[in-house]
Amino acid sequence: MKPSFWRGRALAAVVLGVVPLASLLVGVARAVPVFSRKYHTSCSTCHYAFPQLNAFGKAFQANGFRYPEGDADLRKDEPVSLGSESYKKVWPNAIWPSDVPGFAPLAVRAQGSIEAPFHQPDSVAKTNFVFPEHVQVFYAGTLGEKFSFFGEVEIEEADGSTDVGFPFRLQWNQIPGFNATAGSLHFDPSPGDFGLIPTEYNVSTLESRNGWTAGGEQPGLGVWGAGNGAGGKGGWKYNAGIVTSQGLSDAGRDKDYFARASYKFGGLGEIGGTQGQASTTSAFYQDNNATIGGYVYSGHVAGETFAEREELTTWAGTADLWYHRAILNAVVLGMTSKIEGAPERTSRAWYAQGQYVIYPWLIGLARFESTDEDTKDGVNAETTLIPAVAGMVRANIKMTLEYRRPVSDYSLRKTDVEHLLLRFDFAM
Amino acid sequence: MDSKRAALCMAWAGMLLAGPAVAGTIKGKVTMPHARTLADIVVYVDKAPGSFSPPKQHPVMNQKNVTFVPHVLPVVAGSTVDFLNSDQVLHNVFTPDKCAKKFNLGTWPKGEVRSVTFDTPGCSPVLLCNVHPEMEGYIVVLQNPYFAVTDKAGLYSIPNVPEGKYTLKVWNKKALELTHDVTVPREGDVVSDIALP
Repeated sequence: MKPSFWRGRALAAVVLGVVPLASLLVGVARAVPVFSRKYHTSCSTCHYAFPQLNAFGKAFQANGFRYPEGDADLRKDEPVSLGSESYKKVWPNAIWPSDVPGFAPLAVRAQGSIEAPFHQPDSVAKTNFVFPEHVQVFYAGTLGEKFSFFGEVEIEEADGSTDVGFPFRLQWNQIPGFNATAGSLHFDPSPGDFGLIPTEYNVSTLESRNGWTAGGEQPGLGVWGAGNGAGGKGGWKYNAGIVTSQGLSDAGRDKDYFARASYKFGGLGEIGGTQGQASTTSAFYQDNNATIGGYVYSGHVAGETFAEREELTTWAGTADLWYHRAILNAVVLGMTSKIEGAPERTSRAWYAQGQYVIYPWLIGLARFESTDEDTKDGVNAETTLIPAVAGMVRANIKMTLEYRRPVSDYSLRKTDVEHLLLRFDFAM
Repeated sequence: MDSKRAALCMAWAGMLLAGPAVAGTIKGKVTMPHARTLADIVVYVDKAPGSFSPPKQHPVMNQKNVTFVPHVLPVVAGSTVDFLNSDQVLHNVFTPDKCAKKFNLGTWPKGEVRSVTFDTPGCSPVLLCNVHPEMEGYIVVLQNPYFAVTDKAGLYSIPNVPEGKYTLKVWNKKALELTHDVTVPREGDVVSDIALP
């Protein structure tokens, strides 16, 4: 269960509007067949293997869910006009024209798992069928030339309870280099933040003492943008915002700040385009480049009481290397937590991961991660190894098999950590 | 240029090169029960006498709006086809078919062209784009320039076929085959409707 989830009890509560804060706290998992329908294109146009984006998918996102350099000719739907173009001449004595998608911009993604935890006592099931595990209903698209939106209703079954979330955001896409967002903001520091396998990155799930994690989404206002580098290759990208703080209570008194920036050397331009991209080889999963990035988050996390309020500073450095069929990436995240009357705690988490495309439909992956919740307590970091394979059974059906094994303190952690998990995942 | 016009141009070019004296037109309608479309079926004369040179002007297979245009492009053996990218996104062209030597042209930007020569009559390689898997097109390599591509209604017209007896064949991506014998008169048209199973 994602720690950032609202611990809901029933969907009915959401329908009644009792839990609007749920929208603040949902984790991120995205694969949006809405766009397949809009452009009549395959998942692999944008996805390395869904939900992980390939270079074009990132450029599509950076253009406000549009093809680079205009996509009016590429849309296969006929948008419904909400005012003719000529009404722009009449403004401010008329409403500026817009349009809505020509079809309901909805899509569904569902997941189920078979988990085999090791070392369970005899009284506990050795194999768990988690069907259904996770369902998402997406809505996403563009509203005229300058606005776009992305939202979802997410329902997750975990440990006998049902968690519900409904994050969304509205984006103003002025130019690729400057966009503004209002809604649920996501600021995960990992470079390929839409992971391929069920186990989330440790840098995304590392909790502060009052329960903050970098992998959640929080309500706020943000700006973001991207641009191509020299010769149309690589380029820069940034993302910054102010968000309502989260924590153990819903006080939300404070506002937090985050910023993230990266530079990509080589490969497809961050906002796409075809300039300088001629090559003798190609594949949707290839984009030879090296990207480095940095991330900082600063704010407060509510405690059970105001006195237990946590002052938090988090930073991260990222490196991402794509070369032919291989991807190597690594992230190191540091966290400093201060609570009045308690000793300062510093935490550190990092992972290194390699992926390799054996066939376009079969990807091998290995992740090594290290998590040290308190670097000063004399307890060694917990290290874990996760080998996995992801198979695209069809363009929109994925099977993932992962084995998770504790490396440090094996005998102490094996019951909680060691497992074999098969997940199927489809979107339509 | 749509597929039908391209085919007609090819036929004309071939005629000029081959230099037939008297010619007629073979035309008709192709039908196929339960077909979603009757377009993009190639109707061609099998083994016309003589030798036929490819046109000097390269036939063009365009990639526009993430689609191969035309969907099916028949060419005379020896023709060099220009693959043009007309989109603001990268495209690739490759074929897994051995008869076309399994070529892969890489990727190239908008406005640029990469070319391939198709030498083997009877070869009909599928064209794919490894950036956009939904894209599909075909080159149909033929021995002579007497061919046409059907429109949505299944209609076709092969002009300037020299007088004589011929075997008419069809190519379609479902690999349904049918042969028709036709006799082209000294002048005028001959109608040959073709019913595919």
